[in-house]
Amino acid sequence: MANDREVLREIWDGKLPICFQLAQEEIMEIQQPDAFYVMVPRLSYFPLVTDKMKRHFLRYISQENSDSEMWLDYNGQPLKWHYPIGFLYDLLCGNDPQLPWHLTVHFTKFPEDVLLHCNNKDVVEAHFMSTVKEADVLKHRGQVMSTMQKKDHNQLWLGLQNDKFDQFWAINRRLMESHGDNEGFKHIPIKLYSDDGTCSQRLVSPKNNDGSRKTLQQMVAELYPDKHDVQLRTHGVIIPSDTPLQWLSEHMSYPDNFLHLCVF
Amino acid sequence: MMSSNSLLFSINNEGKVYALSTSGSCWREFMYLGLEFKTLSAVPHYLWAVGGDRQIYLHVHGLEIPIRVKEESYENERWLPLEGFSGRLLPTDRYHFSSQDGTKDRAIDRIRLPSMAWQWEGDWQLELTLDGQPLDHDGWTYAVDFPAQFGPSKQWKSCVRRRKWIRYRKFSAMNSWCAIAPLHKDPTQEPFIDVSIGGNQIPYASPGTLAVWAITAHGRVMYRSGVSTTSPEGLKWIYISIPPNCDIKQISVGPTGLVWALLWTGRAIIRKGITKDCPTGEAWMEVKSPNDTKLVSLSVGFNAIWAVSSDTRVWFRKGIDGNTAGISEGAAMGSGWLEITGHMSYISVGINDQVFAIGDTDKSIYWRSGITPAEQTGKRWRMVQANMQLSRTSSSASVVSSTSNAKHHSLNMLNETTTELKSNINLHNSWEESHSAPIEHTLPMKPKEARQKRNEQVDNIDYTGKSYETTLKNPRAWSPVRSVGSVVGMEAQPDSDSSVFDVDSGMFFDDEISQTAWGTCETTWAFVEAGACSVDVMQVPHWFTDSHNAFNMDLTSKWRIQILDYLKTRNNNVTLDLSTYGLAVEEKGWTRSCESRLINANHSSEDCILSLYWHDLENIGTLSVFQPDGTIKFILNLGEVTSVITSSEPGSPRITLSVPRQNKNPIKVQFISEMEQEEWFNVLVDITSQINGVIGKPSVNSVWAIASSGDILNWDPMPAKLNTANNGKYIKEFQVFGKDIVSGFTTPLHNYFPPGSTIKITGCLNDEINRFHINLEGPEIKKQRHKIETEVTEIPLHFNVRFEEKVVVCNSKINGSWGVEERHELPMSPGQEFCITIICDIKAFKILVNDKLYCFCEHRLSPKTITSVAVKGPLKLYSMEYSTTNAIIGSEEMYWRIMGGYLRRVESCQNGIVWGISHDHRVWVYTGGWGGGILKGIGSKEGIHSMTDTQTYCVYENQRWNPLSGYTSTGLPTDRYMWSDITGKHKRTREHTKLLNRHWHWISEWMIDYNTPGGVDADGWQYATDFPAPYHGKKIFTDCVRRRRWYRKAQIITEGPWIRAGSTALLDISIWANGDEASVWAITLAGDAIYRTGVTVAAPTGVHWEHVNNPQSLIAISTCNNIVWVVGRKGELYYREDITKDNPSGSNWKLIETPKFSHPYNHKTGAGAKAVSLTKTTAWVLLLNGAIAVRTDISRNQQDGKDWKHLTECDLTFKHVSAEENEVWAVTTEGVLQRRLGITADNVVGSAWQPILSSSLVHVTARGGCLQ
Repeated sequence: MANDREVLREIWDGKLPICFQLAQEEIMEIQQPDAFYVMVPRLSYFPLVTDKMKRHFLRYISQENSDSEMWLDYNGQPLKWHYPIGFLYDLLCGNDPQLPWHLTVHFTKFPEDVLLHCNNKDVVEAHFMSTVKEADVLKHRGQVMSTMQKKDHNQLWLGLQNDKFDQFWAINRRLMESHGDNEGFKHIPIKLYSDDGTCSQRLVSPKNNDGSRKTLQQMVAELYPDKHDVQLRTHGVIIPSDTPLQWLSEHMSYPDNFLHLCVF
Repeated sequence: MMSSNSLLFSINNEGKVYALSTSGSCWREFMYLGLEFKTLSAVPHYLWAVGGDRQIYLHVHGLEIPIRVKEESYENERWLPLEGFSGRLLPTDRYHFSSQDGTKDRAIDRIRLPSMAWQWEGDWQLELTLDGQPLDHDGWTYAVDFPAQFGPSKQWKSCVRRRKWIRYRKFSAMNSWCAIAPLHKDPTQEPFIDVSIGGNQIPYASPGTLAVWAITAHGRVMYRSGVSTTSPEGLKWIYISIPPNCDIKQISVGPTGLVWALLWTGRAIIRKGITKDCPTGEAWMEVKSPNDTKLVSLSVGFNAIWAVSSDTRVWFRKGIDGNTAGISEGAAMGSGWLEITGHMSYISVGINDQVFAIGDTDKSIYWRSGITPAEQTGKRWRMVQANMQLSRTSSSASVVSSTSNAKHHSLNMLNETTTELKSNINLHNSWEESHSAPIEHTLPMKPKEARQKRNEQVDNIDYTGKSYETTLKNPRAWSPVRSVGSVVGMEAQPDSDSSVFDVDSGMFFDDEISQTAWGTCETTWAFVEAGACSVDVMQVPHWFTDSHNAFNMDLTSKWRIQILDYLKTRNNNVTLDLSTYGLAVEEKGWTRSCESRLINANHSSEDCILSLYWHDLENIGTLSVFQPDGTIKFILNLGEVTSVITSSEPGSPRITLSVPRQNKNPIKVQFISEMEQEEWFNVLVDITSQINGVIGKPSVNSVWAIASSGDILNWDPMPAKLNTANNGKYIKEFQVFGKDIVSGFTTPLHNYFPPGSTIKITGCLNDEINRFHINLEGPEIKKQRHKIETEVTEIPLHFNVRFEEKVVVCNSKINGSWGVEERHELPMSPGQEFCITIICDIKAFKILVNDKLYCFCEHRLSPKTITSVAVKGPLKLYSMEYSTTNAIIGSEEMYWRIMGGYLRRVESCQNGIVWGISHDHRVWVYTGGWGGGILKGIGSKEGIHSMTDTQTYCVYENQRWNPLSGYTSTGLPTDRYMWSDITGKHKRTREHTKLLNRHWHWISEWMIDYNTPGGVDADGWQYATDFPAPYHGKKIFTDCVRRRRWYRKAQIITEGPWIRAGSTALLDISIWANGDEASVWAITLAGDAIYRTGVTVAAPTGVHWEHVNNPQSLIAISTCNNIVWVVGRKGELYYREDITKDNPSGSNWKLIETPKFSHPYNHKTGAGAKAVSLTKTTAWVLLLNGAIAVRTDISRNQQDGKDWKHLTECDLTFKHVSAEENEVWAVTTEGVLQRRLGITADNVVGSAWQPILSSSLVHVTARGGCLQ
């Protein structure tokens, strides 16, 4: 059970200061637009938090582009909207933190080969819910999600969208419960990313063969038998290697119920 | 810590007995007495065992108060001419000493202790009261002839008299092994091989019934007659014949009395027909073993039989139904075996059919997890991994027989007594008789001597066990088995032993060896007994290392602290001015809406749509109620809601909101589903608590109340006090704009108007004005003249401006009559604006007009009698400002927070210790938490524990006799419903009795109540001549109707910030705070007075109960200032003499004069008390008719007070009252919470009741002292 409220709350309240700037080639006005400064929840997704910023920059771009899809880049690297914001930061700036995070806003030249289209928030919701379902399949063979009502799903999504901790966790708690005889999840929903952004997803059990709790270190030893000194970062912190995986999954998963860990 | 403290017993391969508490995590070894044990069998508090000497032993433990039995005898006398009253009676009369009905001889010199395990408590005493009235010192009651009504006074026609003698005896062998007499004078002639106890839930049996069965080495089955919770050792063994060619090796009795026995051949036989009337059953039936395997161990549960076969496979018997096993062969026998995974060598079924077993290969103890009524076979085996206390007596530890040999000595002494006993038993030569308990006069030892000897033993026992040899050369030689109640070993405190079974403290050892090593050494277990073990499936004990209970350790583990630390300092090294950053997600209020029904006061209902809006940053919320067409019905400001409680009825999930500022009647809403109701309840409680700024633990001054829904409410005056404080002054503006002053405007002045208070009134006089007045007055009081009318009888200040007389009159009204007028010059004229300020000083009211001192009016009445201000006259008011020395909190500002949990009574005291009693009389202590149950996500998880409560539903089956068909369920057209409630006015059927909500579930079937008051016949019927008439149990010629009561028990499972304290069931409780300590007195379910030791703020559950002897059975108690008052069952009042800090139990009970008065309004007389609440100087006594009487002038020197005063002005009746100093709160019969106004040192009974909250309440405690 995820009942360490202090940790959960701290993670939920994690925010990043971001400075958005319109890409130079997009500016059609003589006046340079001001940069747009905003505090963004680490757990959220860019399409959920960029409405105001978009309105701010729309005045400066050519009208014909105003209906086209906005996208962001960091140092020329397009940002995938379907990853949580905090994870993107950890992945791209984890080793060299610089705040505020300077991002460039584009309305043209959508990088079709890199990014998925996201026309509205329903797409984000669909992606989010399918990820939660995938995680539930790993944790409980999908039993929790399938017993939930539509309004519970809604509450989960609205809790995230509106940054309501209690609303979100009232439902998410059920997803973080262990079933059967409380010995933990079936598998830990986990995604590991290397520096270059390649993601690997493995079946990881929360327990060792002898029934004891598996720690991060033990998992790393299994997954990277030849590497030493592997460190993992999520939510802007490096995880102590003796942290039990089950606890980590319950408390430090992103709202999509996956652990997104950056390996370096 | 004692929330669900029950014990799992086991025997290791060395024959040592261990116990594991469900709330602990270490095995405790029973003190080793040189006797190994072979088998054990337990129900809670009663453990039977077969010792290594093949004799049977009994161990009674864990009872917080002693087992006491009251012996009664009536002494009868008849008046004879010349002699007067004499014990010589007529031949047709009853015995000189008899039972109450005269049928049994009860000569007091022949009433003896049943065994050596019992002691008398004092000598025979006379009962000196009759129905609460004191009798003369000889206690005689008089009557015309014997089967007649006895009265307290002798009359000319009184021909007989009788008086009642009472004497208590106590079971003194608590917490010790107590030997049960052998079958023959030579105990080796027919030793025992197995014993089993059960039968604590035989359907319909009277409470306390137990059943004990045993097997002898000759294969005979013995039933122990007369075993019950008040007679733990029973009377004698009765032989039960068994079918030929059956050689029994093991026997098991289930909680419902069902008996299965196992033969050496591996087959099982069942005793059928065991019912409450036939505890030994009728005949044996045989059951096939599963698939031709041989069974080697079996255990009977409530609805389950588990067995192990010789090939170590585990079997579950399907189709057992404990409730009907006595009457249905099928239910006793089940329908078939089901194989369960696992390989076990021994199995035991415990409470709620939980199963424990011993693994075949590793000899570890396993628990079957996941057993629920729905899934009787459970899910998987989990190993019990509790630490071991490394035993000094165990052969694995090095034990040296050292210097002293104290224990040998004590045991030798036992030996001596044994031999003496032997010679005495020889006198009774037939062995049948020796089975029954040896009676006192056959014993050479008088109880007192026995007591002494026992004490010596206690002194002599070496608790360390160091000096003990591991094995005795010839155990049989000293085996003290010859008398019932021979005590083999005893704890230091035989009477109250909660300390003995303390969780994880040295259970059977003293401090000296509390350093005993604890380890996880591998133990091989031979035997496990779960009959007394109650595992809460929701909160599994900390016995399993494979569970997430390890979480608690996570909180303090290094990695967790490190992560939290990292998280908190994530952005710290960035030097950014974050204030210029906008928020990505706009904080906005959220709304929630649903369709529901509004229930009106007249129980009609209408559809509506609820819509809630809540903005947590601005801390505002509204609840809008729309009609189905979308038009607004009304909108509530959630800040004005003073209470949110559940008011569901079966099938109708409801919430009631009290909004006294808007509506006089509470708003009742019915939801579509229970889930929706719970969600709304949760949200509404959360929001209203936030608005009112109450979270977490309430202050010690809180007032606690219980609603009829079992919800626990708390009003905490502190937040309001802190919020409105301004340099020690509290100021309140009254809303006066637009009020109609011409016909009079009255508003309450809370806290009275003590010196230091000020009221400032500004306004404008009309042009046409003759006079106006401002009154500082007391409450309206109902007067009964030719009709009932109300009048303000006390007006300490009447300020009357009379323009037509050009004068200002100041006066006061005392007790309804005006005093002497004081006249002053007119300071103002019509049409002017004005400002009048009235300041209360110590001696007088200082009155300022337009900010200039105008006059003084000396106090003629204490200003503390002022409860409101009234202004009347042709003028407009601009403002009215009240400033005083204490927080101004009106009833419409008292927010009653739901605390979580489910209780029936609650009691607080001034240092914040709060105890509660649930409907099933179990006792709970407040942990300081908030939330739990359906209050999900409110408060924190801290201090929240699982709670259960049980309630019994009753319906009455009514029948009428007719000449043709006898009794049938066809009544006369005028009759009551044939299935009804107790009054007969409401139809109640078994089929239509529904549970309140989804948290309740049935824990029994519908059963006939054979214990209905008034007595019943064999089928549970009670007879009467016609329906509303007294019922009796024996049918007589004139009876035309009969009824019987059916009952069914239901249990709620919830959570709340409460934890169990002790296991004794209580009726009433009272707490008085003395600094950080508290004295807690209580009345047990049996009517005994007890007090709790060691209750402090740091340890609010205390240590254990101490018992105080009481002459009568009691029903209510209250304590304050080391004075204790109690109420007896017949309505009489007593106080306890000589209680001091050093002598907390006092010395004697003294009768208090009962209040004599008839209630002026409902013309019911009856002066008996039913509850009491003591303050330092007064006692508020609730009478049986619902009126309240107040005893005045109580002090340490005059603990029974001086006078009775009555609240004459009110026509309310009450169900509860709670008093502390000048705060008195009460709940009326209708469930309205009332607060007494106007209580001062001069007027201790106060002047009027002020309604506070009108949501149906059942209990209140204001002993936290709220505004003092």
